[in-house]
Amino acid sequence: MTEMKEIKKILLACAGGFSTSMLVEKMKEEAQKRGLSVVIDATAQTAIDKEIDSISVVLLGPQMSHAEKGLKEKYGAKVPIAVIPMMDYGMMNGEKVLNQALELIENFEGGL
Amino acid sequence: MQPSKLQEIMLKASSFIQNNLYIKSISGGLMSLMPVLIIGAIFSLINGLPLDAYQEFLVSTGLKPFVELPVIFTNNMLALYASFAIAFRLTNELGKDGFSAGVLSMLSFLIVTPLGVAEGGGVAIMQQWLGATGFFAAMLVAVFVGRMFCVILDKGLYIRMPAGVPPQIERSFAALVPGFLFVIAALIINAIFAATQFVSIHGFIFGFIQTPLTNIGASPIAYILVVFLIHLLWWFGIHGVIVLGVGVMMPILTPLGLENLAYFQEGLTPPNVIIWGSITLVLMGGSGTTLGLVIAMLRAKAARYRTLGRLAIVPGIFGINEPIIFGTPMVLNTKFLVPFLGIPTFTAFMTWLLTIIGILPTLNGFGPPLGTPAVVHGFLMGGWRVAAWQVVLSLFHFLVIMRISKKQMQKHTLKNRIRGKPQHRAC
Repeated sequence: MTEMKEIKKILLACAGGFSTSMLVEKMKEEAQKRGLSVVIDATAQTAIDKEIDSISVVLLGPQMSHAEKGLKEKYGAKVPIAVIPMMDYGMMNGEKVLNQALELIENFEGGL
Repeated sequence: MQPSKLQEIMLKASSFIQNNLYIKSISGGLMSLMPVLIIGAIFSLINGLPLDAYQEFLVSTGLKPFVELPVIFTNNMLALYASFAIAFRLTNELGKDGFSAGVLSMLSFLIVTPLGVAEGGGVAIMQQWLGATGFFAAMLVAVFVGRMFCVILDKGLYIRMPAGVPPQIERSFAALVPGFLFVIAALIINAIFAATQFVSIHGFIFGFIQTPLTNIGASPIAYILVVFLIHLLWWFGIHGVIVLGVGVMMPILTPLGLENLAYFQEGLTPPNVIIWGSITLVLMGGSGTTLGLVIAMLRAKAARYRTLGRLAIVPGIFGINEPIIFGTPMVLNTKFLVPFLGIPTFTAFMTWLLTIIGILPTLNGFGPPLGTPAVVHGFLMGGWRVAAWQVVLSLFHFLVIMRISKKQMQKHTLKNRIRGKPQHRAC
């Protein structure tokens, strides 16, 4: 599984994928600054299913925090899933959210 | 009640709605029909624009039948598309072949729908039950077929293929047994209802389920309450529009919007005062009608709010306001509790009141896609009066917010306290 995920893919999910796509742009800028080769993408929460095998981490917009439990039950064994802190989300803080994503990937050992 | 306790209840309820298989499939299915809905609505507007000279032009150039055609195959047949889309979603969600289930659902739906006789002889599929009126029947057929499709396959009732047969072939054969069962069930239902006063299952569902439910959903009390609850959910940081709006109200109110479009197209006054658009109308600039606040923020003393204002103004115009909700924050912020919940609720009440006394027109039923800028949004749904109403609302909101937020934004000490609190919550 790990060899398939050599290029890390970070997926941000919110209700329609609209507001997360703004944050994704900020994160991409930050990743470019650091010279990281990561793929960052925004999607609607319902579209996670299709991409689950290719992604390394799922971050949820805080407005979807009620979906966290359900998603963890479904995909928790495959990828780390977490909610973005409200303030980082609101201020579109690409740096902090990128750090959060990278830490989650780093510390993920699989399993619930 | 403790706020944390209330929040927990909200989270649980939202999680239930969000994760409920049937609600998820119905709203997901409807969402995937969005292009069909919007194309239909736009052609209805083109067709029904109430200007005499324009209408004469359409008729004299012979364009009229052409602009009508897309409407006939979109809005007037939406139930047929829904019967596919919902079953498709539901079956996919359960890990089975959604495409087969969708096709079978459409087939079953057509079988329970009464046929007519074409002019020159031969059968005619009548549109009577394929549009708004057949909408609930389509949902029920789709949910039933989607669910039973999975149950039948799980029970092992399908034709197995020897090893080596391509999976695509096995899949199409797998759908054969459930397909026959659905067709037989649909024939039985058709025969039973044909013998009653309802003529078809449509007459029964329309009379006993769809009409009562839409009547409840379109009552002013439900409308104002739902707008209030959407914002209460948002105040707790939960996407109220997705949970209560798209999840619950949109399916119930969709038939009424289609009905309004049909009237509008004929140049008549649309009959339904409250439709799905009535909810999105007060959500312009995002939930909480926060556009006024964003403008206020641009001129705030604290640098943090000016940054936030600049960040949020463009998305805000397009109806996306998560930066404001989480960045201000609105969430769990008692200073904003009253305006955040109160203004949209009051706005909803006023919208209803102004519509029934005739100052605002009833909405034409067009549902502009998410991201349509405020005011343009209102204009598309009900012409210049609704657009003007959205301008008035933004101004009103701006003035109220300015009064409340002046103190709030100038207190730097308060800023830190707020900054710490929700972050702790969300982690």
